[in-house]
Formats: sequence, C-alpha cells, structure tokens
Amino acid sequence: MNSTMSSKIIKIMNCILPVLMAFFVGGIVIAAIGENPFEVYWILISKALLSMTGFQNTLHYAGPMILTGLAIAITFKANIYNMGMEGSLLAGGFVAGILGAQLAGIPAIPLKFICLAAAAIFGMVYALISALLKVKFRANEMVITMMMNYALAKVLEYLATTVFRDAGNGYVCTPIVGDNAMFARIFSKSRLTLFFGIVILILVIMFVVMKKSRLGYEVTAMGKNFEFAEATGMHVGKTIIKIMLISGALAGIAGGGWMLEDQYRYTLTFSANPGLGWDGMLIALLGSHDPIGILIAAIFYAALKTGADSINMYANVPKEIISLIQALIVLFLAVKFIHEKFSFRRSAKKVKEA
Amino acid sequence: MNMIQTIDLTKRFGDFTANDHISLAVKEQEIKCIVGENGAGKSTLMNMLYGLLEPTEGKILIREKEVNLKSPTDAIANGIGMVHQHFMLIPSLTVFENILLGAEVKKHKCLIDEKTEIAKIQELIEQYHFELNPMDKIEDISVGSRQRVEILKMLYRNVDILILDEPTAVLTPQEVDELMVSLKNLKKQGKTIVVITHKLREVMELSDSVTVIKHGKVIGNMETKDTNEQELAQMMVGRNVILTVSNNNMVDEQAEIIYKADNISTVNIFGKKVVDNMSFCVRKGEILGIAGVEGNGQSELVKIMSGLMETTEGTISFHGENITNIWPKEIRNKGIGIIPEDRYAQGLCKEMSLGDNIIAGYHSRKDVCKRGILQRKAINSKRDKGIKDFDIRVGDINGAVAALSGGNAQKIIVSRELTANPDMLIACQPTRGVDIGSIEAIHKHLLDYAKKGNAVVLISSELSEIMSLSDRVIVMCKGKITGEIEPRDTNMMKVGLLMAGIHEEERNE
Amino acid sequence: MLDSILYDCIYHSAPIILCVLGGCFAYKANVLNIALEGMMLNGAFVSVLTYFLTGNMLITVSLTLLSALIYGFVFSYFGITLKGNVIVIGLALNMVASAIAGFVLVLMNSANIIIPNFDLNALKIHIPLIENIPVIGHMISGHPIITYLSFAMILLMYILMYKTKFGVYVRVVGENEEAAKSIGIKTSFYKYAAVLIGAIGCALAGMNLSLERLGLFTNNMTASRGFIAIAAIYCGQGKPVQSAIYAILFGLARSLSVNLSIFAGNAAGLFDCIPYLVMMVVLSMASYIKHKPIKERGYKVNE
Repeated sequence: MNSTMSSKIIKIMNCILPVLMAFFVGGIVIAAIGENPFEVYWILISKALLSMTGFQNTLHYAGPMILTGLAIAITFKANIYNMGMEGSLLAGGFVAGILGAQLAGIPAIPLKFICLAAAAIFGMVYALISALLKVKFRANEMVITMMMNYALAKVLEYLATTVFRDAGNGYVCTPIVGDNAMFARIFSKSRLTLFFGIVILILVIMFVVMKKSRLGYEVTAMGKNFEFAEATGMHVGKTIIKIMLISGALAGIAGGGWMLEDQYRYTLTFSANPGLGWDGMLIALLGSHDPIGILIAAIFYAALKTGADSINMYANVPKEIISLIQALIVLFLAVKFIHEKFSFRRSAKKVKEA
Repeated sequence: MNMIQTIDLTKRFGDFTANDHISLAVKEQEIKCIVGENGAGKSTLMNMLYGLLEPTEGKILIREKEVNLKSPTDAIANGIGMVHQHFMLIPSLTVFENILLGAEVKKHKCLIDEKTEIAKIQELIEQYHFELNPMDKIEDISVGSRQRVEILKMLYRNVDILILDEPTAVLTPQEVDELMVSLKNLKKQGKTIVVITHKLREVMELSDSVTVIKHGKVIGNMETKDTNEQELAQMMVGRNVILTVSNNNMVDEQAEIIYKADNISTVNIFGKKVVDNMSFCVRKGEILGIAGVEGNGQSELVKIMSGLMETTEGTISFHGENITNIWPKEIRNKGIGIIPEDRYAQGLCKEMSLGDNIIAGYHSRKDVCKRGILQRKAINSKRDKGIKDFDIRVGDINGAVAALSGGNAQKIIVSRELTANPDMLIACQPTRGVDIGSIEAIHKHLLDYAKKGNAVVLISSELSEIMSLSDRVIVMCKGKITGEIEPRDTNMMKVGLLMAGIHEEERNE
Repeated sequence: MLDSILYDCIYHSAPIILCVLGGCFAYKANVLNIALEGMMLNGAFVSVLTYFLTGNMLITVSLTLLSALIYGFVFSYFGITLKGNVIVIGLALNMVASAIAGFVLVLMNSANIIIPNFDLNALKIHIPLIENIPVIGHMISGHPIITYLSFAMILLMYILMYKTKFGVYVRVVGENEEAAKSIGIKTSFYKYAAVLIGAIGCALAGMNLSLERLGLFTNNMTASRGFIAIAAIYCGQGKPVQSAIYAILFGLARSLSVNLSIFAGNAAGLFDCIPYLVMMVVLSMASYIKHKPIKERGYKVNE
C-alpha cells in the first residue's frame, strides 16, 4: 500500500513539476520584455480563479477543453496518435453553426439536440476516414490526421466564404445561429452556460468507459503492450476504429458546444490559435489520460486562458505568452523527471536475468 | 599464466545479488566452461568481463594485470571478445560489413573502401577455414553461419580470449559438432575460450576445466577429466536431477481427432516460406510435441495456430469446423487455450495488475464482464482462486505482474488458460527461463490436463521436455515436417538428424 | 502554362526535399522526428526576423542555423538523453516554434514581417546557356540558391547515408542498437547527429520558404509541410532518393493546384487541399503495399 501511495505522489509530482518549469521559463521571457513576472502571474490567478465571475468564466472555457482532452486521452492512452480532433472540432462546430442558423424555427431543446447530434456525427465521420486509413491501409494516423486537418480547414474556409457566407458582414463568417440554438447563460455576469452540465455528464460517462468498461481495459492494455493486447484476443483494429469514433464524437460535440454557447457563428478563427484541439492535447497529457486528471487540468488551463485576457488588459504582456507556456508544459510533460519506484526497475532486471 | 582471473567479483542490482564474490581463473589456451542453471548469474558475470556491466565490488585481472573495463571497447582492447547468445548483427548488412563494423577501411579520407574490405574478410575466412561468403546478407544466411560471423567479428579484432554465451542454444546437434571442432581448432591456434552453457554433454566433450555457479556463487572449480555429468548436474541444481514427471498416459489410438492442420504454409516479412506445407492432427487425450531447432518455423506455426498470423494456403479445423485464420478471441471462444511463446510480450502485461492479467483474453466472458462493464469483485475472486489452485507466490496481491519471478508469472498464464477449461491447449515454450520447481509444477499440470481427455500441442526447444512429456512428436526443420516419432522408443541421435532435416531414408541411400 | 507548372514544381518541391533529406537520417536512426514542422517554421521566422533587423545575409544565415541547432539539441536532449516520448516532444516543439513567432509578432504589433525593399530577383540565379533552352531552361533556371542546393543535397545525402562510415553507423544504430553498443559505437552521438542534420535541413527549408522566395514571414506559413515531409519519408522508407521523389510529387501537385486554380473561379480556395489529399492517398497506398505481403497480424506502434 505504501509503495502505491508513493508512486501516486511521484505521478502527481511528474505533472506539477513541468508546469512549474514552464512558468519559470515563461517568467524569464516576461522579465526579458521588462515586466514583473510575479505581478503578471498574480493577475492571472486572481482574475481567473479568485473571483466568482472569473471562476465561472474559467469553467465556461474549460467545457470544450474537457471534451477535447478526453478525445485525445482515449486514443493517446492506446498509443494511437490521433491528431484529428482539431478537424473533428471544426467540422462539428461548422455543422452546428449552419444547422443552428438554418433551422432557427425549431423549438429550443430539439434544435440544440439536433445541432449537437449533427456535430457529433460529423466529428465521427471525419475521424472514421483516418481510422479506416489506419486500420485498412496501415497509414500512419498522425501524419494522415495532420494533413487532413489542414485540408479540412481549407474546405471550411471555402464554404464559409462562398456557399454559407453571411453577406451582411464585413469579414468572412457564416450567419449567426438562431436564439433557440444558443445556450443561455446561467448567471448574468459570467459566460457559463448549461452546456457545461452536458460536459460534466459526458465526463461521467467517459469515466465509466475508461475506468470500468471492457473497452477501457482494452485501451489500457493496448497502451501498455500492443502485442499482449493482440495475442490475448483484443481485436486491435476494431478497437482502434471504436476509439477513433469516440474521439471524433467528443471533439465534434466540443465544437458544436463551443459554437452554440460562445461563438454563435463560424469564423476563420473559430477555434483560435493554437486551437481547442491542441489545448486538448496539453490537458490529456497533464491529466495523465485520467478523466479526473483531465477535469483538473482543463480547469487549470482554462484559468490560464481566462487570465490571459486579463493580463492583456492589466499588464503590458501579450496574451500569446500563454501559448508559449502551454507549449513548454507539453514539452516538459514528455519527460518523466522523477522515476517511479526503484524496485520496479530492479524486478524487471531480475526477470531478464532468469 | 592466467588469462582471466576474477577476485571476489560481486554485482548487485538494488538489494538483489546476481553475483556473489565470484573467484575463478582461466588459464592460457584452455577451454573453460561455466555452467549453471538459468538465472544462476552466468550472463551477469560475462557481461562484467565484457565491460557491459560494472562490478559492484571485486577485481578483474587480465593477463595478471588488474583492469577496469568500462565498455566493450575496453574489453576488446584487452583482447577479450564476446559472442552473444542473441547475435549482435545487422540483418540488412552483408557479412563483411558486419565483421568490419566499427573498424571500416576508408579511402579518400571519408568514403568506405568496399573492395579492400571484401578482400580482407575473404583472407580472414580462409585463415580460420570457415565456410562463409563475405558478400551474403546476414538475413539470408543460416543461424550457424551467423554465429561464425560473430566469431570472425571478434577474431578480426585480434582478441585472444573468446567468450561464448550459450553458443549451442540455437544450433542443430550437427552444427554443435561443427562448432566444437572450430573451437578446438581455435584453441590450437593459441586462443583461450570461455563457454557459458547449461548443457553438460558439451561440457564433457569440449572443455579442459569447469566452473559451476549456483545462485550467483561459485559452487565448484574442477578439471573436466576429474568429474562427470552426474556430479556436475547435482552441483548445478543441488539435488538429484531426473525429470520427475514423465508421461505414463496411454492414448487410445482410435481416439477422436479434434484438431487438424492441412497443408498450411505462410511467409515471413521477406517473403520467405517459413511454414511449408505442414499437416498434422491432434487426438483427444494426447500430447503432441513439436520439436526442432529454434528458428525453423515453430514460432510462426504457433502464431498461425493462435491467430496472430495468417496462412497463405491450407486449412485448420477444430472439432470438424474450419477455423483457418480466425482471430485470437474466436480461437479462445472455440475452446483452445494458448500459452504463448514470449511470456512478457504476448502472454502478460507487466505493468498491469494480477487481476487484469488473469482475465486477459477471457475478459468478454459473462462471469467477469456484464454489459460491457468489468465486474471487479468477480475478477478478484478469480484471481484469488488461481493463486491458490496453482500455488502462485505473490508479494502484493494488488501489485503488477512485473514484481513476480519468471516461474510465478508463467503460472499466471497457465492458470488463466486452464481455468477457462478449453478442449485443447497450445503450450509454447511453457518452461523457458523458469526455475526447476515451477517446471515440475507446470509439467504436472499439463499431464493432468491431458489425462482428463484434453489435447495438448507442446512446442519447445528443450528436447528433453518434449521427449518426456509427449505421446507423439513431430520434428520440424526449415518450416517442414521432417519426421514423426514415438518418443518412448526413439534415440536422441535420430531426433537430431531429423532436426537437421535429414530423413532416415536419405541417409541409407 | 507548362513553363510555369514546371517552374513551380521545382519551386514548391525544394523546401520539402530539404526537410525530407534531413528527416531521413532521424528516421533511419529510429528517432521519429515530428518536429520538422516546427523546425522549418523556426527557420523561416528567424531568418526573416534577423534579416529584417540586421540586413546582413551572413548574420542571418548563421543565426538561423544556430537556432535550428538549438531546436535539434532540445529535441535530442529530451528525447534521447532523458528518454522522453519523442512524439510528444515533437508536437511540443512545433507548438513552441509557433508560439514564439506569434509572441514576437504581437510584440512587433504586426501580423507579419515584411522586409522592406527586398530585391527577390537579385537572389535568383540565372544559369547562362541553360537559360536559353526552351521549356527546360525556364524550369531549371532562375531559382534562388537554396533551391539548387536542395537538389544537389539529394546526391550528397545519398552518399552520406550509404557510402560513409557515418551513414552506416546511423543505420546500424537504428536497426539494432544493442549490436551497435556491443562494438562500442556511441549510439547517442549518432542519434543526436541524425536529429541535428534534420534540424539543419529544416532551417534551410524554412529560409527558402520565407526569406529567399517571398521576403516575408507570416505565422504558420509552413502549412503542415513538415508533416508532408514526414509522409514522404514514410513512403520512401527513409531512403534519401526515393523520399525526395515523393517530395517532388508533392511539389508537382502543389504546382498544378496553384496553376490550375485560376480556371476554378470561386472554387479556387478548394484547390489548396489537393496536394494534401494527394499525399494522403499516396501515403495510404504506399503503406498498403508495404504491409500487404506481411502475414503477421497486428499493428505495431507507430509503424
């Protein structure tokens, strides 16, 4: 028992340490442009977490990120590097936006359901293409999905500038979704909407899927030892398709939700830079592919994003510093700085000897 | 003069002592055998002599001078060369490129001079009377030839001490004889040779002196002429070793055939036929042994049988139903259990818990999984029952498999496959790297299982295991069946010839 | 029309070829370098920024190469020495490159860096005699120096990989690391070197893409070309010549889509995805052909 406790602590330390290191490097950069890093970080924390409205906004931003985090986690955990969630998210968001505008006459609840369902389906279809190329053609899923993301962004750009363009607007965007499609804000001051409730519901479902279900077991086995998973009869090809579909659906819903609760129309900066899908990667890694970890990581990272708007306003630091810190966190997370249980390695050695 | 001497050499990994105050000496121009069971610490000792591991305590003396070997380069500089059990060769490169790896001949300062290289290697091959073509690629030549390449690689570097780690494990009996001749020749040419082995017949034939190691300690040092096989075996194991289990079951020759392979073939990555037109059948209550030198298609055959590889032609039927190329899960559902070849790659997941491992492959069954949700309680009770019934020694019941010894880990697999109560069991290398106690237990389980009227296909590179357990043995060579024998009335000589692919009829001609 | 298609084919192939040639070594050394994209973006960014600030080509080239080496070292140190997950490290470095560029652009208060009064034509090399041959002359002549370098590098890299000790060692390290260690090859050194060659290739590619061809930098101008390069490396299985051919294939697709899009009217924007779709199809086919004869089932990780 003691050893599992200490290994848990090491695990948590391995998540916290990279964050601290990234903030340290970020602090050097802030100092280099002549600002006080402590002051900047304080603004960030106080505005994002210590005020009620700020915290609610943080939860609002965390919603889609929890979903993209889960979307990444379920594939990364199985050692499948599906980078297509950014595409699924855009596809889902786009279709939800179009349907939300075209079907504006339908009552609120069915309309939202239709939009989110369509978003999930589009996300899944998009993911299915790369999944099939991976399983049937053995193409590397990461390279395929990266190229597909680029192609999809171009297609959506074309659609938004031609067929679905809102002519009344000066910049490229689709028409605004109907009032019935919008998620209403819960509190007057903050942007938090009921969509967050849906996110939490999905999180609970994914917790069961990843921790308690047969699929979760197979995903864990694949991630730890592919050959073992295959030899003991987990039909790996089918499982890859399943998890890619789940991943696509989650990212699609994230995009749909982001459309209906925040953006209301598709623009060329719909998912911002570096994209909600990429945020999901950081969140999945930081939460070590664990649903609870992802919830915490998403709130933490959403806080950075909410805080980033404040540092833009209250300090003279561009909010792009957050992208840098994000990238550095991912970089440092790739390495385990503290090794788990020494005894673990020794027993492995003993086995080799035998 | 002592070429190698170790004084109180000790190596610890954490609180596990692999080598405990080992003192031994190898004289100039002698062949020294170091024997011991699997896991006795022979490889650790050799790795220290070759600079791959650093000793925790103690001294190594080469030509009576103390040395500090930090890397293989140091060892080679001191005239020590090593031929590893798993060859350190690059399959896509040629023989000469492999031999000269790290000692390339250059022209124009930076380019490699292939012409001179080939000539040099040809000369070397002739000097030692080895049969090799320097232009062949490693992936195309036989295991015996690869071993000769390894030896030449060391000789080219002018070593006068050669260490060979289990050199005969992958050779046919005939290739073993050739190797022995080569080694004796090398000795005549002035080399000192250290051979690590656990095969006592070879020790007696080859060596001048023997050192026995057990549990990381030196148990005895003696001249070969003063000892015999029985004495050595006793020292190695610490008690009389006769395989205590043997097969006394009588199989009804008319018993129902439950498994039938018909003309099956498959190819490897390079498109070479590795299983070639094999046909065999298994009856109820029978243990069918499949013997052969490692690397003659047994691995691929097992992969086909367990659904990890597809056939190019031929069919497999089970209970009369065609099951060719179905997936591992379906194979298990039909009632075939599998003990896979590579314990930690295919059989177990080291980082997962005992419970998770004990349901692997059967995790979709109703008793542990309802509506897609795993039933933790049922899994835990299954695990506890397995641990009790199969006498598996575990430290932390919630811990990972990585903490178990090889024998106990293997028993997890045996328990998993047997409790599912299949009609047939495919057991591939079931006792490899397992301690004697566990070997006995596993053998007993297999015999009891067959006695109940079930079928077993046993694939093993330990000929003695095959011969003592099987009712019938088929011998494989180069992917083909070269013969079928009754183990009770066949001598080893005949099996050896079959393993080398020589049929009796051919020999008589 | 044909003239410009052929010219553009060379023009668009060059940066991918450089990336591919660099990436081949890492691929052969069994280190998957996903950071090609970020390293290329970094090359593009640093070169334009330095030239914008100093106006000195020598300083620009040396700083760009230096920054590439830093990326290479960070990648190698985290991935090889600290044994981190190279895929995550690669993706992270891509993000780092983009984040740094974005951050600096905001500090400069601009969406892009344009070098004022930059004479692009002065960088173009017109080869006498060849220039006058019809069709081919126009295709081959009039490119900037790195474009020529990229094609010359195909041969150089082939020699480096197959005819020198260095190349043999890199391949040995990738194929059987244990064997390499057993004869005293310093495996980490060769892995580092392989990654650094990739970094230099990417830096040149980035310089070619931004400074030399356009004299400007916008963020994310590499547009997933790094992943195109990885696809080409996979298709060519890390062999310099074969992989470069796939890179040229992308160049051709890109050149066709650019040149033909003028006929497409409104749908011109859609033509942008054609090269990516072509590479997807090619990668899928190449992977399919490679795996078809393999009878062993299963999906080894990151094949």
